Amino acid sequence: MLIAAIAVVHVLVSHYAVGGGLFLAMEVQHAYREKDRNYLDYLHGHARFFILLTVVFGAITGVGIWWTIGLASPLATEVLIRTFVFGWATEWVFFIVEITSAFLFFYYWGKLAEKTHVIIGWIYAIAAWISLVLITGITAFMLNPGDWATQDPSMRNFWTAFFNPQFLPQTIVRTGGSLLLSSLYIYLHASLTLRDARLRDMIATRAVKPAFFGALCVAFGAAGWHFFMPDSAQAALVSAAALNIMFALVFALSIIIVGLLYIGPYRNPGWMSPGFAISLCLFGIGAFSMGEFVREAVRKPFVVYNVVLSNQVLPQEVPSIQKDGYLQTGVWTKAFVREHYPQTLVADSIQYDQLLKLPPEDRVMLGRVLYQHHCNDCHATTDGYSAVAGLLRGRTRAQVRSTVGHLNSVFFMPPWTGRPEEAELLTDYLMTIAPPRPSGMLIGTTMEEVR
Amino acid sequence: MYIDLTSAGVPAPFWFVQFFKWLGFTLHTIPMNLWFAGLLIGLWLHLRGNNYAKHFAGRLLRQMPIIVALGINFGIVPLLFIQVAYYKVFYPATILMAWFWLSIIGLLIPAYYGVYAYAWGVKNGAKMESWRVAAGWIACAFFLTIGFLFVNGLTLMEHVSRWPELWKNNNIAGAATGLALNITDPAVYPRWLLMFGFALGTTAVWMLVDLCVLGGEKDEAYRNWAIGFAKKLYTVSLGWTIVVWAAYIFGTWSQDLFATMFSWPIILLTLLTIGAPTVPWMTLMGVGERPLTRPTVTTLALGQFLVLGLNAATRQTVQNLNLSLYPAVLDQPTDVQWSPIAMFLIVFALGVAVIAWMLWQIPKSKSA
Repeated sequence: MLIAAIAVVHVLVSHYAVGGGLFLAMEVQHAYREKDRNYLDYLHGHARFFILLTVVFGAITGVGIWWTIGLASPLATEVLIRTFVFGWATEWVFFIVEITSAFLFFYYWGKLAEKTHVIIGWIYAIAAWISLVLITGITAFMLNPGDWATQDPSMRNFWTAFFNPQFLPQTIVRTGGSLLLSSLYIYLHASLTLRDARLRDMIATRAVKPAFFGALCVAFGAAGWHFFMPDSAQAALVSAAALNIMFALVFALSIIIVGLLYIGPYRNPGWMSPGFAISLCLFGIGAFSMGEFVREAVRKPFVVYNVVLSNQVLPQEVPSIQKDGYLQTGVWTKAFVREHYPQTLVADSIQYDQLLKLPPEDRVMLGRVLYQHHCNDCHATTDGYSAVAGLLRGRTRAQVRSTVGHLNSVFFMPPWTGRPEEAELLTDYLMTIAPPRPSGMLIGTTMEEVR
Repeated sequence: MYIDLTSAGVPAPFWFVQFFKWLGFTLHTIPMNLWFAGLLIGLWLHLRGNNYAKHFAGRLLRQMPIIVALGINFGIVPLLFIQVAYYKVFYPATILMAWFWLSIIGLLIPAYYGVYAYAWGVKNGAKMESWRVAAGWIACAFFLTIGFLFVNGLTLMEHVSRWPELWKNNNIAGAATGLALNITDPAVYPRWLLMFGFALGTTAVWMLVDLCVLGGEKDEAYRNWAIGFAKKLYTVSLGWTIVVWAAYIFGTWSQDLFATMFSWPIILLTLLTIGAPTVPWMTLMGVGERPLTRPTVTTLALGQFLVLGLNAATRQTVQNLNLSLYPAVLDQPTDVQWSPIAMFLIVFALGVAVIAWMLWQIPKSKSA
């Protein structure tokens, strides 16, 4: 959840960093050409807002995502870093170009020759868009690495990973999204800061075309995204109720946004009041946030599709861990057993039959160890996101044991990655947190029994 | 004890990774030093200094948002390459102290905005709003804290032997709680303080770079004040680093590490690193007998770059020696990605050219 929260916040700003940069470059060029000093003054103020939001908040939340995924999914992060390190390094070069050009564009406003100022604006816009393309190649890989995942490891290379099936659709979506979302931010900023009705109407009219083009790109890209999704992601999209609703909401909000853009800034630019702009912006933020959440969620049970499972195990490791044991294989799980139950080890190897002979409270403790490492990456315990306790409410021990042993009978769950003895231990623990079936339900009971 | 990744080797020759890690860290250190100690000095001088001190402080604090942006940006490179080559120790160490590590982001955002709030409120002669003053000081405290957390994490990364104790005291059913701050490690404090010592020196040099290269000249009296202040500041820096170096080497290095760092040929690096700050110091002390010219300032700046670069190289060496106790960490197969490396180097060269062109426009601007 922490990753999702930071990612969504970052995405809302980083798209503006791309689309807003393009807007500033285009509009400054236009204002110089028309010698519109008032518009230039407004754009200067907008550039200040842009710098404060993108260079500070956008940049640091971007680093924040990297920070968070390293803590929450180190294996997946390392796979991405190993595979794409020079993609990231290249993106860093563009990032430096962005920062330098953004500062020169803003701090030397009115001091540089007009032509030079415009060129620097365009350098920023182009560098920002290339950054988007580079990052999208990497994030798209997480949803569908295509042939890369099935290739012999010695044959894998950067380019097959980067130009994955999701690369083009997601690049189109994000390019369009940056144009669309930026127009909404621009409306918000202009409606709140501009008193000059002529300027406000002009901005409303000029920013609506990129917004429509952006919406068109989002529609095309999203269709491609859906088409090139793996089967499991397509299935998750239709079978998980929450994703269903969110997907429908994204669709509905997108139509509302386009409709409002048409009747508002396109047909009636004068309608661009703060209330109208705030509504548009909130709809946009809502659609974007839910879209990002859906995009993340459909990857289950993988963090990187077919490469890293959500519980930080490589798919090819599953059989050996099932054979050798999860507690035995994990560095920290083994250390825990070594420290607390040394009597169950012979030659530093866990004797699983001995674990089952431990007193009930120790079996529960080991079950908790398994839960913390095998399940807790995605599930809260009793309260919170996708809490396990609620999912087990009212189940019998046999049912819970069967569920643990056949975790991936539900396709969006990873397989049980441990020995049968460990499944018993985990079941012991889960039974201590599973609440009873809710009382008062009139199923299989007579009114007499209820009375 | 560490994560194992079986899917890929190191995507570049190890020297390449080490070189860019070193280069990135050295470049990062310059602006980082200016917010680490420079911000503190700037805020103090702006509050309590004479007119000359206020002039310098105002300029430094107005430059600070750009300095912070560059520092963060340059910091990405060493962090990227540290995760390429040292992931087996980097991730577990940061996971052990996860909440503190994550708090760096939470501290950095308000610190950065605090710097902006202060910088945009600096106006010659005008009294600054108190909220801006508070924002500046909070930013300063946050940056010092961030420095401590970084040193904490990166020291823990190379002191693997400390993990079991921290894990035992900070786990729930074997899973790290992320609350294990490495404060009992004696190496943390000298490393943190050493960087502060370098930061004092970098601030002194920056003062003269600003004076002679960035147009900070006000009048002759200011020039004399700035040179005098820079001399005192660098002298404090030199004394500080000598004391902390001694505490770090004699108080925290193991016998084996000490023996290796003082054996041929590494002793050259060790001695050069310890002795390097005397180069800019002596250059600075010579100013007065001869005038402060641009070539002198360039020599000073290069000297300070040498100080920071040698320090980064020594840290890298100490890190590798500490980790050599765990062969699985550094002994990894390589699977070099030649064409992506070529792409990066070409883009890097083009990027430098584009940035150079943009910076070249500054002298042509109306403010120049």
